[in-house]
Amino acid sequence: MVRFLARRLAMALGILLALSIMVYAMLDMALDPLGDLRTSTAPNRAQLLANRIALLNLDQPWYVRYWDWLTSFVRGDFGTAWRTGRQVNDMLGGAIATSVQLVFAATLLAIIFGVIVGLVSALRQYTSFDYSITFVSFVLYSLPVFWVAVLLKQFLAIGVNDFLNRPVINWPGVIAVSVVSGLFWAGALGGELLRKLITFGVAAAVSFGVMFFTLTSGWLNAPNIGIVGLAVIGAAAAYTVTLISAGLGNKRALYASLTTAGVALALYFPLQFFFAGYVMSDWIMLGLFVASIGVALLIGWLYGGPDRAVSMRAAAIVAVLLAVTVFVDQVMRAWGGYVELVGGRPIATIGAQTPGLDAGYWTAQLDKFTHLLLPTIALVLISFAGYTRYQRGSMLEVLNQDYIRTARAKGLSERVVIVRHALRNALMPLASIVPVDIVSLIGGAVITETIFGWGGMGKMFIDSLRDSMIDPVMVYVMITGALAMIANLIADFLYAILDPRIRVDA
Amino acid sequence: MNDERRADVPKDIEATPEEQRLIDQQLDASGPGRGEGAGEAKEVEGLSQNQIVWGRFIRHKGAIFGMVTLAAISLLAFSSMGIGPIPGWWIFQDPGASGPIVNGAAPTLTLPSWLGGPGFALGEHPFGQDNIGRDNFAQVLQGVQTSLLVMVVLGLVALLIGVTVGALSGYYRKATDMALMRVTDLVLTLPVIVLGAVLGRLVATLPDKLGWSDDFRLGFFEYMPLVLAMALGMILWPGLARLVRGEFMSLREREFVDSARVAGASDWRIITKHILPNAVGVIIVNTTLLMSAAVVLETALSFLGFGIRAPNVSLGTLIAENQGAFASRPWLFWWPGLFIILIALSVNFIGDGLRDAYDPRTKRIPSKRQMDKADAKLLAQNGRAK
Amino acid sequence: MSEQPIAVSSLSRGEKMSRGVGSGTIKKGELILEVRDLTVRFWVNNDWFVAADSMTFDLSAGEVLAIVGESGSGKTQSSMSLIGLLPANGRSTGSAKLKGTELIGMPLNKLREVRGNEIAVIFQEPMTALNPVYTVGFQIVETLRTHFVMNPTDAKDRALELMRLVEIPNPEDSFNKFPHQLSGGQRQRIMIAQSLSCDPKLLIADEPTTALDVTVQGEILKLMRELRERVDAAIILITHDMGVVADMADRIIVMKDGRVVEHGTSEQIFGAPKHPYTQQLLAAVPHLGSASEPLEGVPRLTLIARDDKPIPLTSGDSSVTPALLLENASIEYPKAGRRAAFRAAHQINLRVDPGEVIGLVGESGSGKTTIGRAAVALLPVVEGKISVAGRDITHARPKDLKPFRKDVGIVFQDPGSSLNPRLPVGESIGEPLLLHQGLKGAELSKRVEALLDSVELPRAMRNRYPHELSGGQRQRIGIARALALEPKLLIADEPTSALDVSVQARVLLLFQELQQRYGFACLFISHDLAVVEMLSERIAVMRNGRLVEVGPTREIVSAPQHPYTQRLLSAVPVPDPAEQKKRRELRDAIIAKEKIVS
Repeated sequence: MVRFLARRLAMALGILLALSIMVYAMLDMALDPLGDLRTSTAPNRAQLLANRIALLNLDQPWYVRYWDWLTSFVRGDFGTAWRTGRQVNDMLGGAIATSVQLVFAATLLAIIFGVIVGLVSALRQYTSFDYSITFVSFVLYSLPVFWVAVLLKQFLAIGVNDFLNRPVINWPGVIAVSVVSGLFWAGALGGELLRKLITFGVAAAVSFGVMFFTLTSGWLNAPNIGIVGLAVIGAAAAYTVTLISAGLGNKRALYASLTTAGVALALYFPLQFFFAGYVMSDWIMLGLFVASIGVALLIGWLYGGPDRAVSMRAAAIVAVLLAVTVFVDQVMRAWGGYVELVGGRPIATIGAQTPGLDAGYWTAQLDKFTHLLLPTIALVLISFAGYTRYQRGSMLEVLNQDYIRTARAKGLSERVVIVRHALRNALMPLASIVPVDIVSLIGGAVITETIFGWGGMGKMFIDSLRDSMIDPVMVYVMITGALAMIANLIADFLYAILDPRIRVDA
Repeated sequence: MNDERRADVPKDIEATPEEQRLIDQQLDASGPGRGEGAGEAKEVEGLSQNQIVWGRFIRHKGAIFGMVTLAAISLLAFSSMGIGPIPGWWIFQDPGASGPIVNGAAPTLTLPSWLGGPGFALGEHPFGQDNIGRDNFAQVLQGVQTSLLVMVVLGLVALLIGVTVGALSGYYRKATDMALMRVTDLVLTLPVIVLGAVLGRLVATLPDKLGWSDDFRLGFFEYMPLVLAMALGMILWPGLARLVRGEFMSLREREFVDSARVAGASDWRIITKHILPNAVGVIIVNTTLLMSAAVVLETALSFLGFGIRAPNVSLGTLIAENQGAFASRPWLFWWPGLFIILIALSVNFIGDGLRDAYDPRTKRIPSKRQMDKADAKLLAQNGRAK
Repeated sequence: MSEQPIAVSSLSRGEKMSRGVGSGTIKKGELILEVRDLTVRFWVNNDWFVAADSMTFDLSAGEVLAIVGESGSGKTQSSMSLIGLLPANGRSTGSAKLKGTELIGMPLNKLREVRGNEIAVIFQEPMTALNPVYTVGFQIVETLRTHFVMNPTDAKDRALELMRLVEIPNPEDSFNKFPHQLSGGQRQRIMIAQSLSCDPKLLIADEPTTALDVTVQGEILKLMRELRERVDAAIILITHDMGVVADMADRIIVMKDGRVVEHGTSEQIFGAPKHPYTQQLLAAVPHLGSASEPLEGVPRLTLIARDDKPIPLTSGDSSVTPALLLENASIEYPKAGRRAAFRAAHQINLRVDPGEVIGLVGESGSGKTTIGRAAVALLPVVEGKISVAGRDITHARPKDLKPFRKDVGIVFQDPGSSLNPRLPVGESIGEPLLLHQGLKGAELSKRVEALLDSVELPRAMRNRYPHELSGGQRQRIGIARALALEPKLLIADEPTSALDVSVQARVLLLFQELQQRYGFACLFISHDLAVVEMLSERIAVMRNGRLVEVGPTREIVSAPQHPYTQRLLSAVPVPDPAEQKKRRELRDAIIAKEKIVS
């Protein structure tokens, strides 16, 4: 294990070193820091040229400058952006966090949605649902991220903001969305014609009802989930999670999940006081999150029975979902104030946060969210298609394996066959796709950051490349390279954990 | 470590249909259409590999859609704006020339009556005009030409590098493989857009850095899409190389390669005559997918300002130039976007069709609807029998 | 261990959750399964194809019914239709009643209570039939807890009991192992334990020993025979191997192209087969011991390995140059990446004289293919010496090998993989001629046609592609190609083991004719002793990379001396119930003895 790690680290460092040499040499040719002076008509042009050559050591061959760069880089001095004179180290601070946030959020959402949709698509192979998903994913796959980003910025954001200011409900649109939602659920849940019709009717009616309520009741101006919403979500989560993870036949798991939901409801009002009475921070949130999982595990454990682990798992998943719900509820409650603070246009199209906003923890969260929203959607839309296709293919392959036939021949229910035997195996190859996708998402982030004016790494890279500043570009390259290596390493470990046939020390 | 291949008696579900026919022939006991696999046997009777692949391909609806769309787009782009010195039929042959604003710069294209329009007509500026009166139709179709050119050139360069690297790596293994795969890893570490931006910058800076004469520089910029496509081809090959390598590694263990070696075939002959033709499926499919990525990459780089520059037109630069005018002249944004998506989408569909056609594992399981029909037929048959 | 029988019904168990059908217990001789007009069809290319046609049979508790047929005969699908496990495009009609309850058309939720509970299945390939990411213990427990109300501890106890029943060594350890950590035989034992876990009324064994080596097959057959005494289930045994049938079956159904051609007791089918197909099938099966006269007296010419010392070279006529000579040769698979070099054959001494056929026998992993590949210079000999037709090729460089290539040919095992799918077969046959004699055009096609004639294939076939040919035809092409340059030595590496028996019989016949006509020396590599016995004058037996016994065929087959050869021979089932009964006793005695020794 240690040997494996050491070997991988050595290899990663070697690749990073080679990468730095290659990119430095390329940049040396590609960047033209003297370009503006060469065409300049200033009288002291020769003097300016000499100054800049001296500043950037341009009289030295590139490898000498590379060596200088490398020696200071390993000492932790990342150089300067010479046009502005800023230290690269200072520029990095916020930029890394901003970019990582964006890429992480997009990856996570793309994986969750991609895997679920791909899975359902595979289970409904060769149905209209499958064909539609395939078609949609192909379209998404072909979308240029910059075009989507511009579209979201110019169309969705402005449209939503306008709507919030002057709500005119587009009824044909609402009905169309309801119908599509009905078709989606009918296709995803499948079954005989009658069952499909019922699913369609229910899903379309629910979608319509929800939209009708949100649009007409003024909910959008003061959104919240409230205790009623929490109760509905809690009950639904308890049943769904138990159905998928344990089967409704497992009463202990069901009761543990329902109890967890009950505890969440009981704590709702006390929590309101807590949230209002104290200054919140990310650490408190994390603590509460962990505590809620702990409580759920305890509840599952207390229900006992031979399959404690199953009950504990179900309860913990429900707890996670409800914790997120409560969090979202709180964030929503900051909406009204936030809308006023930002002048009635809450969906942000520029930057990673509203500058100078100081209105407490929840408003800050909301602000972060409204800024993250559009770039994340842009990245998710494109990455999602890849995961869907991949998961569908992988699932279909697994479903053809002999051990699935064995599982059916043992008399296992279809739920167990799919979730326990097929899904587990179908998820393994995903581990090798995720790092590749993360690299391409980092690339996508370059574009979205530029379009949405985020002060992230990607924007720093593009701006510095345009302004012929080699130091920030090199740091970007090194950090991106390191992130790719880390992603690969994590994927290898994940693979080893998921697949008992692979030994990492081999 | 198992050095033997086990006596694998074919499983029933994978019964070789040919086997079936042979027994039929030899024992003459039963007619065709009986026994497992008889149906599949009938399907491939008397066809070569390529015919089988082609047969599967043209049954793929998406692939046909892709082929037709791509052909239509290419035809439109090259016939309207001309190829090189040959002029096209469109009145505005210079996408950079501005003219008087017609129809408030809005598109004059009208839909045919069956789509609810007043009848199909192009009008003066079918896709509208920009703020200085340039014809959007000419610009977009010139951009489409650029995209198609970049797609093909980039695809070919990446194909050449990827196949060479993959083939050498997979065939010779050992040190060759180690060295080539480290290079591949190196290129894969950075996002293509990042490397592409550096290369795009490089291509744009070279004339200045090398102090070329104005004439030379002009010529260079004229052919810039070609140069850029070749440069970008240098970074899009690793995916293909990995797949070709994997294919070579597995094919070189196949017994027909050993047979060829025992017969005295040279490495060159084994690679080109025996392995490469069998890897052609993987190569074609992935080159296709790579080409669709190429279209998106080129437009994205041009959007960021590290790709195609004037006097050449790229769909990406069109979008970049016009994104601010989205509220007032949305057509300047929609048309180039639509063409990027259509090109990428049709190439992706073609790739998907090729993948299905080449994949030997593709078993067309009938859909539920087909099975319902089949059940009805079975019921009718049995009804008659009784 | 097997001395203390554990009655399955007395095992600890919980309350049965799945109701299943009929009453709980069954008695030997009770009618379990009634199948009437069972027809299985597949919807392919817009038409129905019949995979199994109007099967009708009864099956009682404690009885073993063998369904025999070659690939594609519909034997598997007909049984899978009993538990509704047909592929999506398959449909079954007719009737199959399990203790009076109709199975065909049973709704899925009812069927699920039957699967694994009333009817259990043992699949062919235990490596792929067990889920690779779960421990084998978990997979047995899962079956138990699906059908019984049982807590995990009880389920584990019961699983361990089952694992003891199928004689898994160290059940407590093995319980937590993953399938890939067990050997093929142990995996199949786990499959069997899993299938027995709910006391099924009917057990379907689908080619349960086909994927296993012959000695492991012997052990599994022994286990299954013992189990059928202890459990009361009826057993359907699906197989293509007449030897296995002779070992196990009470009654036999012979299928061909989806039709039942003959149905009778084991004695009837083997003793007096009525249908021509059955007769032909039985005639096609090579029968160990039938090709050579029983030996009288002690073997004189056989050499066996003792005390880890290699077998010395068989003395031979010093005036002839051996076609193949291996002297103290060790062969390695070269280092690949970080995988270390692997020595697959150690200190081999073997000579093949011109015109002689030597059979090289061993199980998977024994190194027999390694020797074949070294003989055609596909693998390096790292120690000792190898020479072919008097030419030392031990240290030959690739370019020196060209003249050597003319002297050897090789026929590979898998006819699907040994021909380039993208070349017409005529080109494949002509390749050696093109490369060595520079033949082109008309001259080349004349030679190719002559070669096709000699392997009894129509000349027009030269323009076909491999996928258009049957397995047997492809293997004939492979032989024609190997013989193109009229080599002095032919390596035949399991040339018939992927073929159905009737096809195998024809290919072997052709091979014998060609050998007599061309007079090449041959190293015939096979895992099947019966096939080797038919063809070869001498036999060499390999185990774990070493030769353990070399001698004249008659001596080896009738009076093997090395314990491993004895075990190997005794494990081969013969297609004759009466004789197999005797052999079985011998086999079981050897297995029992080995167990005591170890």
